[in-house]
Order: sequence, then C-alpha cells, then structure tokens
Amino acid sequence: MSVGFIGAGQLAFALARGFTAAGVLAAHKITASSPDTDLPTVSGLRKMGVNFTVSNKDTVKNSDVLFLAVKPPIIPFILEEVGPDIEARHIVVSCAAGVTISSIEKKLSTFCPTPKVIRCMTNTPVIVREGATVYATGTHADVEDGKLLEQLMASVGFCTEVEEDLIDAVTGLSGSGPAYAFTALDALADGGVKMGLPRRLAVRLGAQALLGAAKMLLESEQHPGQLKDNVCSPGGATIHALHFLESGGFRSLLINAVEASCIRTRELQHLADQEKISLAAIKKTLLDKVKLESPSLSVASASKVSLFTSKSKKN
Amino acid sequence: MEAAELWVGFVGAGRMAGGLVRGLLQAGKVPASNVLASAPSDKNLDAWRELGCRTTHCNLEVVHRSTLVFLATKPHVLPGVLEEIRPAVGSHHIVVSLVAGVTIQTLQRLLPPSTKVLRIMPNLPCVVQAGAMVFSRGSNAGDAESALLQNLLSSCGLCEEVPESYIDIHTGLSGSGVAYVYLFAEALAEGAVKMGMPGALASRIAAQTLLGAAKMLLETGEHPAKLRGDVCTPGGTTIYALHQLEKGALRATVMDAVEAATNRACDMAKD
Repeated sequence: MSVGFIGAGQLAFALARGFTAAGVLAAHKITASSPDTDLPTVSGLRKMGVNFTVSNKDTVKNSDVLFLAVKPPIIPFILEEVGPDIEARHIVVSCAAGVTISSIEKKLSTFCPTPKVIRCMTNTPVIVREGATVYATGTHADVEDGKLLEQLMASVGFCTEVEEDLIDAVTGLSGSGPAYAFTALDALADGGVKMGLPRRLAVRLGAQALLGAAKMLLESEQHPGQLKDNVCSPGGATIHALHFLESGGFRSLLINAVEASCIRTRELQHLADQEKISLAAIKKTLLDKVKLESPSLSVASASKVSLFTSKSKKN
Repeated sequence: MEAAELWVGFVGAGRMAGGLVRGLLQAGKVPASNVLASAPSDKNLDAWRELGCRTTHCNLEVVHRSTLVFLATKPHVLPGVLEEIRPAVGSHHIVVSLVAGVTIQTLQRLLPPSTKVLRIMPNLPCVVQAGAMVFSRGSNAGDAESALLQNLLSSCGLCEEVPESYIDIHTGLSGSGVAYVYLFAEALAEGAVKMGMPGALASRIAAQTLLGAAKMLLETGEHPAKLRGDVCTPGGTTIYALHQLEKGALRATVMDAVEAATNRACDMAKD
C-alpha cells in the first residue's frame, strides 16, 4: 500500500513520522507534495526518506490512500487541481477541520462518479504515536476502506469511527486539545520556576505529571473525580491548590475552550460553504499559482474569492 | 444501661435541643415522661410539654433527676450554667454538650474531674430523623458512653464518633450546610418561577429533587461526579446548565462557604 500527502506541513510530517516509526509503512512508500519547498517540514520529510515532489498530480498517481493535509480554505483548489487524476481505487482522506464529506464528494463527482471519501480528524501527537483520531466514511467508501484507514491511524494512537456530525466537537476537544495542554504545561512550569525549580526540570516534571495522570485515567475504571479525590488528603496541599483552580473557574474555562473551538470550526465550514473565504486565508504562493493558471479570475471583487467553479450554490 | 430506664435531661430547651428530643421520642428511644428540660422562661418549654416532656426553670433539678444530661445553652451562657450545676454533677452522670464552640477541654475544666463528658455537633434535620451528627469523647468517657450515644442518636440520623478537630469542620459542612441547601433550593425554585412555573409547585419539586439526589448518593455509594455524568446526555440540557454553574465558580464558592463557617467556628471557640 502506498500513501500520499497533498501538503507537506505539520500534519503530513507528523503522520509520516508516526507511520514510519510504527513500522506500518516504509518511508519510500510515502509521497508528499507542496508548492512551497521552503517549509521546515519539507526537509524533515526528505530526511525521513519520504518522496517529496512539487507536483500534487504525482502524489495522486503514486498513492492508494491520499491524505489531503492542507488548510481548509485550500481544499477546493486542491480538489479542482487533482480531481481529474482521482480514480475509483483511491481512498481520499480529508483531515481538514470543518470540511464536510458532501462538499468534497460534490467537487470530485464532476471528475469521478464514485469517489471514496473519508473525513478524519486527528491531532499532532500522532508524531509520537499517541494521536487521537476519529473518522467518518463517505457515500462510496466501503467498510473495508474505513478499516484500512483505521488500521493506519491506530498505529499512531487511538482511532475510532464516528458519525460525521460529531467531528466538529472532536476538533474542539482533541484536535485543539494538545494546545490547551501545552498552555497548561507552560504555566505549570512557570509555577515550578516561581517556587524555585530550574526551568528544564519544571517542564520535564510537569509534562510527566500530565502524562502519568492521563495514563492512570485511561487504564482505570474510575471516574476522574474519584481519581482526583484519591490525591487530595484532608487539609493537604493538593486540596488547597484545587480550591484556587475552582475559584478561577478552571473547569468552565476548559468547557469554554472546547466549545469555542467547535463553534469556530462550524463557522469556518459555513463560510466555506457560502464560498466566502478571504484572500488573506490563502497562502500567497498558492494564490499566485492560482492567478497564473486562471487569468480570468478577478481579484478586485470585494476581496472575496469564489472557490467553487460549479454553478450550484446549494450544499 | 437500658435506654428505656434512662432519665434524660436537657439544660436549655432551644431549637437544637428540641430537634434532638423530637428525634429521640419519634424513634421511641426514650419515653417523654423520662425527659426533663429546663429553660429560663416558658417561651420554649411550652413545646416540650406538648410533647409530653416534663419541664422546669431549675437547671439543678435537671441534673439531680437525670443520668444523661444534654447541655444545650447558648455559648456565652454556658460557663455560668456549669458553675451553677457543678456541685450536683457526679461520676454517674453522662454530660453531653451541644454547645457550639465550647471545647471538651473547657467543659472538663468547668466540671468535676471525673465527669464523663462528650461533645456533639448535630444539625437541624435531626427533627425529621435525617440529621448528621458527629461527637467526640472526653477523657473519662469510654466505649459504653460512646455506644449509648450512638445508639440513642442514630435514631435522629447519621451519627459518627470523630476526633474533636473534625467538629468545627462538621459545623461548616453540615451544621451550617443545611442553610446552603435551603439557599440552593430557593434559587432552583426561583429559576423555575422565572421560566413560568408557580412558586409553590416549584419549591416542592426543588426539595424533592434534592432529596432524591441525596438518596441516590447515599444508597448507590457512587462518586457524585459519576452520578453527575450519568445525568448528562451529550449536548443535552444538563450539560448546558452545568456549564453555567461552572462559569459561576459554584464549586469554589461552596468551598469558600464551608471554609468560612469552619474558621468562624474555630474563632468562636477561642473566645
């Protein structure tokens, strides 16, 4: 089986690293492409032994499983570009937050009658094989196609199938989750440093504390509330600290964060569906390329670009 | 000592004492005629007589005629009362103080050296036999006294022996805690009224909700966090409401309340 990545940024790098480290895929069976060769991840991929090219079409030709690993606003451009090369054998896996299966299928169906599309939401810790991934299969993707993806993603962490309408919530929780954790770890380390620890040690201990706690929770039948209680001896240090967290509305901040990320994901999807993505959202190199290939494209119009050439507005 | 042969006295006949005696009588632990209560005026004593208890204005009489003597005066009154009854207190007496903030050390100092002293902190729902009480024993109180108290008072609810240091915490948690629950019930009902439900119905439902939830906690033995999770269907009404509670830092506020009451109990004890 060969795997391709359209896009050679953080996500492609993390997945490629994870797959090769897990031994499910040899590096030379992986192709990645991007017009931007200056990305730091590009040299990383090359060093890994991944085949790097500037041609997205080459990636498609050389892959069975094709990951769309570009930012959501770019997806329509990519589909337009590689659509003609997509065959029935391809499994197209979109990792783009907020991009619906139906929008991808609609786009591809002008080129291929029954495109196999799977939508997936993963996260960056796939790089250390502790990712959290969910996927939903599209109209023409079979059970085996889903299972194939699940096998791949399970090699780099936890993976399970869900209904598509849950994916935005997953984005808010585990998609963005590592960022919440990094923020927490940075602050915990600050706390350690304030109380006298050297920074490196503080970071190391903080990370290990969270890692250990997460592992305990995953391996335990107990509710996190119970596990918390088990750490809090009466009148002790921990319960004093927890009181501070509660006073600061720690829990509600986390709820707010997950909610905000999920809502923003939906918002972006909605904007995309309405075909109102600002130019600023699109990287300059790609936009230049687009302008070269489509001289008729007007960029003077109200700073909005129509992403879909199909006439139908209804999604 | 058979509880039925027990002569029980109350020095002070206020709300807390009244709650305890109602619990004892309702559970049939002691016949009303075996109960003697004293108070300076008749204001409180009428209610006791209605229960069938005997009453007096003389504290000494209570001590002379009782084996188990509950001290239920206001804190500032107690030292004077102890000085008054001290001559009549003997080694056969069991003295149980309900008085907030008065330590066993103080009680033992103001009573004869060999007196069996215990200190108890009840809470108001003892009246309906759903109280929460903790007690500690003094130097001369033994297993027999502890067992007697436990036997009698489990008729009023949960009754546990604890180290004396837990008593102030119990005040903050459960003594005063009853008031926090009343506040919460009131607010729940108010929310319902805002949304269009008549007040009386809302209040009854609020109370039953608290009762039912507490009953499930006690009977299932599950962690409250787990029971909470069980009620929260994904994207449903409950999780939306809980988010509001978390935004208001309810948990921290409740912890603050327990802390404030406990600290106040400690401070008052020092006075």
